[in-house]
Formats: sequence, structure tokens, C-alpha cells
Amino acid sequence: MKRSLALLSLTALALTACQPAGGGTIKIGYIGPLTGDAASYGVDTLNGVKMKIEEINAAGGINGRQIEIVAEDGKCTGSEAASAAQKLVNVDKVIAIVGGQCSGETLAAAPIAEEGKVVIVSPVSSSPDVTKAGDYVFRDYPSDALKTKAMAKYFAEEKITKVAMISENTDFASAFRASLKENLPADAVVFDEVVEPGTKDFRTLMTRLKNVKFDTFFPNAQSDATMAAMMQQFRDQGMKQPAISHDIADSVTLAKLAPEAVEGMWVINVPTSGQGTSFETDFTAKYGAAQATIAFAAHAYDAAGVIAEALKAGATDGTAIKDWLYNMKEYKGVVGAFSFDRNGDVVGVPYGLKQFQKGVIRQVKGISVD
Amino acid sequence: MQLIVNGLIAGSLAALMAGGLALVYGVLGIFNLALGQLALIGGYGTWWLHASGIPLFPSLIGGMAIGAIFTWLTFEIAVAPFYRRDARIPLVTTIAWSMILDAAILLTLEERPRSILPGGKHFLPFDAVRISVEQIVLIGCTLIFVCVVAWVLHSTPFGRKIRATVQHPDAARSLGISSSLLHRIVFIVSGVLAACGGIYIGIDQNLTPTLAFPVTIKAYAALIAGGKDNFWGTILAAYIIAMLEQLAVGTPWWFGNYVSAGYQSIVALLFIIVVLLIKPTGLFSHRARAA
Repeated sequence: MKRSLALLSLTALALTACQPAGGGTIKIGYIGPLTGDAASYGVDTLNGVKMKIEEINAAGGINGRQIEIVAEDGKCTGSEAASAAQKLVNVDKVIAIVGGQCSGETLAAAPIAEEGKVVIVSPVSSSPDVTKAGDYVFRDYPSDALKTKAMAKYFAEEKITKVAMISENTDFASAFRASLKENLPADAVVFDEVVEPGTKDFRTLMTRLKNVKFDTFFPNAQSDATMAAMMQQFRDQGMKQPAISHDIADSVTLAKLAPEAVEGMWVINVPTSGQGTSFETDFTAKYGAAQATIAFAAHAYDAAGVIAEALKAGATDGTAIKDWLYNMKEYKGVVGAFSFDRNGDVVGVPYGLKQFQKGVIRQVKGISVD
Repeated sequence: MQLIVNGLIAGSLAALMAGGLALVYGVLGIFNLALGQLALIGGYGTWWLHASGIPLFPSLIGGMAIGAIFTWLTFEIAVAPFYRRDARIPLVTTIAWSMILDAAILLTLEERPRSILPGGKHFLPFDAVRISVEQIVLIGCTLIFVCVVAWVLHSTPFGRKIRATVQHPDAARSLGISSSLLHRIVFIVSGVLAACGGIYIGIDQNLTPTLAFPVTIKAYAALIAGGKDNFWGTILAAYIIAMLEQLAVGTPWWFGNYVSAGYQSIVALLFIIVVLLIKPTGLFSHRARAA
């Protein structure tokens, strides 16, 4: 009896495995830093994707089929993201991937996705290199090439001519550094040091910086933990100059770690999409407050959203999804109404100038880049 | 001047960790490579107690106590069953244990960085040298703690018992010295040193679940450079390496040019290599003395 039961279940298993492609679930992959220093981005973006997929599944799925998320940890490194992508593309045979989050992850996963003809949509990678990463690579987050232009424009408006910069040696931060220097006058960066990833002791650099004449300090870190240490030690040395930074500074954790040090700090980033909307209320009710920022969850939610739209429109393989995304007129998501250009870069997401005011990040004004 | 202060701040942290490593190596002859994780547990323990409303001072004691408990667990699970058979086994078992602790830390604590005393510290009103009251206390406590451990080890009857078990375990046992009890005590003290290191990080910078291993490696480097069998030497080497790292990027070396900050740790490692080439036993090693 036992044996026949086992046989029966085996046959059942075999049968489900042989199910025609029409039935069963649709698999969508996810790559992001679920552990490590950047894990707060991973947690927020994965929850954003989960939220979208659960909504779709609750509403009956895609033409009657449920969507399943296969999440892999990219650990914010290229090598981990590459093996994650290998598994998703070749073992799980996902139809599309949301990820990576860190630019290093996306750049490493891109060639593997391209090879397997799997569309990959990154919610938060902003390195300029992602633009040319491949035909199957999309993102609903603007390139740093644009953001550094916005920053350069702000510097020109505010008559900031001497910038002091400390950069962490990671894909994202190095690319940002290079791109910003391209957009600024040749002698604008008066202090330019690159440190090993994860460095937390900047005291000696700050001691040196004290003897340099500069208008504004630009901490170019990869994680909020490092950014907090930079800002704290910058202020510890008694320097009063304003500070400005990018996405990484757009994190409420900073105000908790170094409240006085980051007070008044400027941030240039995409608007905090979803903040104060029903999206944030729903998200918080489900997963608790965002660990880094609700905007990351919003971008991930929309990245999963465009993939779902393509599937709803009848796309059944990576190439069809890719073509549909390039031709997509406009997708009304949480982050705004956007489409993709011929490189898969997002069009329609603007920038905002924000400031830490009494421990809260508030948008002061919008910055247009044309 | 500021450079020396910076070096002292970094060096104190390194000394606590290296001290923990050296103590265990000197007495038990093994490397505890889970030390960084024990530091994290001490730091996170303090943060957790303080964040749940307990005043700072009891939290510090509590954090050290939590560190001590986990260190004792570490000893019973990863060290005690093996170290008498072969001193190299704990090298592997403590690494395995450190991975388990890493995973446990990740599961129980969220990824976001934590700071025990968030925000501004109380800086002394000098512009030439910037140092906060908190930093002075940290540097001072480190010195006192490390000196007390060294003094107990080298100048008290209790320390003599410990050294006796190192020099001749069987003879010591025949004189009624329980080496297994002493080993436990020494191991736990090393863990408390590490926990202090974690608390140091949590107050001076911030705690993230991934910083354990780099901290252990730095301590290991100080241990090798200072001479494996000399507690004082290791402590001194920790301070010297930290000081070198600050000087390397803080002073102009040629025609007003600075060493790029990315090469900071390379300078220290080069120093260690040079030291070992000239004196393979380490800077402060003298053969006669153990522990």
C-alpha cells in the first residue's frame, strides 16, 4: 500500500512537471541585496515587488495564471548577482527579473539575462553604465548621468565652485564620481579621495580637509552606514560648510544615526515617490515602515508593474516582453507616468532637491534636466 | 596632533580586539576567529538594552555580560571539545561558529545600521585638536582595561597560575591548579575585551551586521606583527598599526602629495611584511616568556 502511494505521488509529481506551458504559475525572478550593508534596499524593493504581485494574484493573476516570485540574494556584489542570475535564467527559467538593486548587481546580471533572452528591469540601479548594458536591460530609475547633470546645474545656480568629495570604491559611487567630475568645471573638485568599501574611519581625511578651502562637502558613499560615519566625523571636526549628496543620503536611517550631523544636509534625488500616498499607507500596513525609503519600494512596485502589463498584453517570452516595453506609450505608476527610451532608460521621472529638516527629509523644489 | 588623536581612537579599538585574540592565543594556544562576531554581539547587546530604555551605564555592563555569555557558549561549543587534541582544530570550528553567529545576527537584528549613542558628542572647545569627552573616556577605559588584564596576567598570583598552566599543564595540575577552569575564565575575559570593542564601534561609529570579519583580521595582523606570545607586544602593535594608517594618509610624503586613502590598509600591511622579514617572531617577541 505504502509503495503504491509513493508511486502514485511520484506519478503526480511527474505529471505536474510535464504540464504544458499554458498552465501553472508564471515565474518572475528578483535579485537584490537581502543581506549585507545594503540590505535595507533589498528588503524594501523585494517588499515592493511582493506587494504588486500579491495584488495581481488576488485579482485573478495574468489570464488566470498566478505569478510566483523567485528571490535571490545578490549581496550588492557582481559575483553573487551573476550566480543569482544564472540560477534564475537557467534553473528556475523565469520569464523576467526585477533587479538588481545595486548597480554592480545589475551590470553583472545583465549579460546573463541578455544571453538567456530574459528581460531584466532594475528598480534602483542608477550607474550610467546600465544604459549600455544590453537590449533586455531596463530600469525605471534615472541614470546618474542625468543626476550628476542636475547636481552640476544646482552647483552653478548656487555659485558653488569648490567641491570636496570622499567616495567609497564601489561601482555606483565611482561611476557617480566620474560622471559628476565630467559635468563640473575642471578644477571644481578641490578634494577628491577614494576609500575602500566599508571604511568607517575618515578622521584623518577630515583633518586634512580642514586645511582645504571648499564651499560644499559631497559624501559619496554606497551605504547609509558609511554615509552616517562620514557626516558625523565631518561635523566632529567642526566644519560648518553645507553638505550635499545623492540617493544614499535619501534615507531616514541617517537621521537616526547622526541627527545633528545631517541636519540641513541637501539631497538631490528622484522625488520620494509614494510618500504620503495611499501606496505608503498600504505598504506600511503590510510590511512595516520602509527600511531605507518608500521610494525604493515604489520603484520596485512599478518595475514589477510594467512586466505584469507586458504579460497581460499577451507576451509569453522574454523577447516579446522586451519589444512590448520598448513600445510602451506610458505607464501610470506610483513614481509617475513613464516610458522607456531606446536604451531601456526611464523617461518621465524628474529630480527633486531635498533637505534634512528636523530629522525629516523634505522636498524643497524640483530640478528639471533637459 | 590631530593625527595622533585619530590614531589613538582607531588604535584603542584595535587594541581591544587584538588583546582579546592575544590573550586566548597566549594561554590556550589557539586562535578564536569568531572574536569579531562576539564584539558585534556585545555592541548590539548594549544597543538593544539602551534602546529599550535602560540607562547607558547598566546597558554597558549588560552588553559586556551578554558578550561574556556568548563567549562562554563559544568556548563550550567550538573550543572545549577540540583544543586539547590539536590547536589547529579550533581555527576551523571557530570560523564555522562565526558563520553561525553571523547568520543569527542577521536573522534577529535588522539590516539597518545602529548607533548606541546617536548624534553629536560633547566636543572639547579646542579648534586645533578635535576630541570629544566620549572619545577620551573610550580611549581611557581601553587603556585601563587592557593594563588591568596585563597586570593580572603578569603580576598577580592568579596570573602566575595561568602562566603555570601554559608552561607545564601537567605539573600545574599536580599542584592543584584547575587548568580547564582557568582556560574558561581567560577565554571569557577575552570575549569581554571583544565586547568592549563592539561597544566602542557602536558608540564611536555605528554597528552593521557585516563588520565582524574585517575587525578580526585587523586584530590578527596586530597579533602577528607584535609577536604571537607577547600580550603587551600585541597591544603596542595594534596602536602602531593604527597610528601608521593615519599617518600614511594624513601627512604629505613627496612634494606635498598624499597617499590616496584607498591605500591606507596597504601601508599597514606593508609594515607588517617588513617587520616579519626583519624579525620573523614579531616586533616584541622574547622567547623566554609565554602568555
